Amino acid sequence: MFEEASEVLENMLKWSVPLSLVLFLVLVCPLRAEAAHEFSVYRMQQYDLQGQTYGSRNAILNTEARTVDAEVLSRRCVMVRLADFSYEKYQKALRQSAGAVVIILPQNMSTMPQDIVQQFMELEPELLATETIVPVYFALEDEELLSIYTQTQISSSSQGSSSAAEVLLHTATANGFQMVTSGAQSKAVSDWAITSLEGRLTGAGGEDLPTIVLVAHYDSFGVAPWLSYGADSNGSGVAVLLELARLFSRLYSYKRTHAGYNLLFFLSGGGKFNYQGTKRWLEDNLDHTDSSLLQDNVAFVLCLDTLGNSDNLHLHVSKPPKEGSPQHALLRELETVAAHQHPDLKFSMVHKKINLADDTLAWEHERFGIRRLPAFTLSHLESHRSPARHSIMDMRSVSSLEGAGEATAGPHVDLTKLSRNTKVIAEALARVIYNLTEKGVGGDLQIFTEQMQVQEDQLASLVDWLTAQPRAAQLLDKDSSIVNTLEYYLSRYLKDVKRHLVRADKRDPEFVFYDQLKQTMNAYRVKPAIFDLLLAVCIASYLGVLYLAVQNFGLLYGFLRRVTAPRVKQH
Amino acid sequence: MTLFHFGNCFSLAYFPYFITYKCSGLSEYNAFWRCVQAGATYLFVQLCKMLFLATFFPTWEGGAGVYDFVGEFMKATVDLADLLGLHLVMSRNAGKGEYKIMVAAMGWATAELIMSRCIPLWVGARGIEFDWKYIQMSFDSNISLVHYIAMAAVVWMFTRYDLPKSFRLPVTILLGLCVYKGFLMELFVHVFLLGSWTALLVKAVLTGAISLCSLFLFVTLVHSN
Repeated sequence: MFEEASEVLENMLKWSVPLSLVLFLVLVCPLRAEAAHEFSVYRMQQYDLQGQTYGSRNAILNTEARTVDAEVLSRRCVMVRLADFSYEKYQKALRQSAGAVVIILPQNMSTMPQDIVQQFMELEPELLATETIVPVYFALEDEELLSIYTQTQISSSSQGSSSAAEVLLHTATANGFQMVTSGAQSKAVSDWAITSLEGRLTGAGGEDLPTIVLVAHYDSFGVAPWLSYGADSNGSGVAVLLELARLFSRLYSYKRTHAGYNLLFFLSGGGKFNYQGTKRWLEDNLDHTDSSLLQDNVAFVLCLDTLGNSDNLHLHVSKPPKEGSPQHALLRELETVAAHQHPDLKFSMVHKKINLADDTLAWEHERFGIRRLPAFTLSHLESHRSPARHSIMDMRSVSSLEGAGEATAGPHVDLTKLSRNTKVIAEALARVIYNLTEKGVGGDLQIFTEQMQVQEDQLASLVDWLTAQPRAAQLLDKDSSIVNTLEYYLSRYLKDVKRHLVRADKRDPEFVFYDQLKQTMNAYRVKPAIFDLLLAVCIASYLGVLYLAVQNFGLLYGFLRRVTAPRVKQH
Repeated sequence: MTLFHFGNCFSLAYFPYFITYKCSGLSEYNAFWRCVQAGATYLFVQLCKMLFLATFFPTWEGGAGVYDFVGEFMKATVDLADLLGLHLVMSRNAGKGEYKIMVAAMGWATAELIMSRCIPLWVGARGIEFDWKYIQMSFDSNISLVHYIAMAAVVWMFTRYDLPKSFRLPVTILLGLCVYKGFLMELFVHVFLLGSWTALLVKAVLTGAISLCSLFLFVTLVHSN
């Protein structure tokens, strides 16, 4: 009896150990297969500004790919090319609760026709305005991605149109793609510090000198933070400011040309997020310190915003300058310089009152205007709502050294115009600080020539460097290389270069940034479930045939025996 | 493609072995542990081959595109150890010729299946990404089964003392083909740039031819006495 029991137990043990091992392996082993294609994707903006949420809320996706013309889009990743993108299609995808939207951008934007670029630029703010839980990603196209797209398109458009047999054949040969991102869900970045930089050139002749403040914000904005290079807006502004710093520091280093004005240069961060850097800087300087250049005698504040192109130059003011004020002097000098030295330039003043009811301020000078400092913004754009200020199409793709005849589609920097604008501003400023008009100097005299020339290659290299990497405010923390390089550059020409940090208030944050802005997406080739069943049926039939063959192996054996037997008999 | 696909590939690879084992009557002879011993011999022989190759053959540094014919030929020659191993297994088993051949071949082929195919299938076929190569790998294991049966039969015939003189040459040729089959296949793929399915087909045809010839010779040998 015991023997039988022990035998049964033995048998049980013999089979349970391998079975439990298999179960263990099945449950425990994680998989990471190699993907058909792995590529970087850049997420749409996600931020809160003054309590209002913008952009796409979600980051993870693990869904099958479809193109926008497929019928069923829910819980699928919709892939669209830029050329086929339109707001209606985007809305359609969102309405059908798609799993994700991936917009494929060409590697070289200059191959895109003008109207598509314009249309996309106008769509960007609308995309951001509708807050959505669907993750929206941008990817740069390469060959493999294009082939994935075409294969997906073929299978998407042929659904629901053919007979059962065709569908069956189709499943065996077609490739579906599963798109999986590798990162985690997006969450708010805590304690992000926006850095601003200031530096000064002290005037000659004692205390209580009037101060001129020159401001430019160095960050950029676009529908995807990692793709916003901000060439014209505001890389051009930064380049002009740095070049002015160089020129005036040179002038101030000689006793004869050391003027009686303090020059304060300010590179503000968070400019595209309602000028957070400037706002806090003003609060700190006017409310929290005893003495600051901003408190005493400010002649005017000149903000530089988007100066890299076009033959227009607009001076945006919130209050028309009064006669006899330094503001009015600058306005007059700008008109003089433009008229005498650059007749092709059309200069004008644009008056727009500050509207505090708006969500965001229009131009940077309005921040100063709110604090009762005389300020204006110089820009080639006529309206602050121009899409060129917030577009990922704002890239530096053609340098002026190459063929000047190439028409780039989106907003870009034209170096000749940038250097002309720099010269105009420099001449006008010089005329104000040296009081040249009152001394009777004609409008034709050019100060910045020969050794004091505006160096176009300096501007070119600055713009090249600025547009080599994305400069969205969410990507530049206080240790970023851009901030450090700007600080170094300023400290070469200016004195007292200081950093100024802005951190969002803990309880009522003015701005909240989110992470997971750049991900790696894997596209896995998958077959539909029917394929597996089909394969199982085929394998079962193959095994059946094999079984029959093995069972009847004796027939073959007998046949061969009969073939060989007569030969043996003949021996 | 997950577990179902893995199940498909695994059954495609393993079931023929199971069918062969059951239907060839080996189960009646309680040959299970003998097959396992044959498998152990396989492991031992592969280990010795790997050590030998690692010690005496330098790594090929000629570049990616050029196929080192001579080097690969020498490496294939080391596969003669397979024949020795099969002979060892068969000589330790007492019994009829067919029994010895089947036991040795089953054990050898099953060990090769477990060692060289299970893990790639487990890791690869279970992933999300689909690739035809797993199905091809399973087919390949079927072909290997037939190949090893043929190889065992040829080795057995070679070592028979009563082999007629006229058979010596064909048996030797078949033996050579068995050993260098892998090398020949790589040669074909390289020279004719065959696709993966075509290569599989060629391999199946080649193995089929070898096994038919060896079966023919075997039948003649066994029933001529």
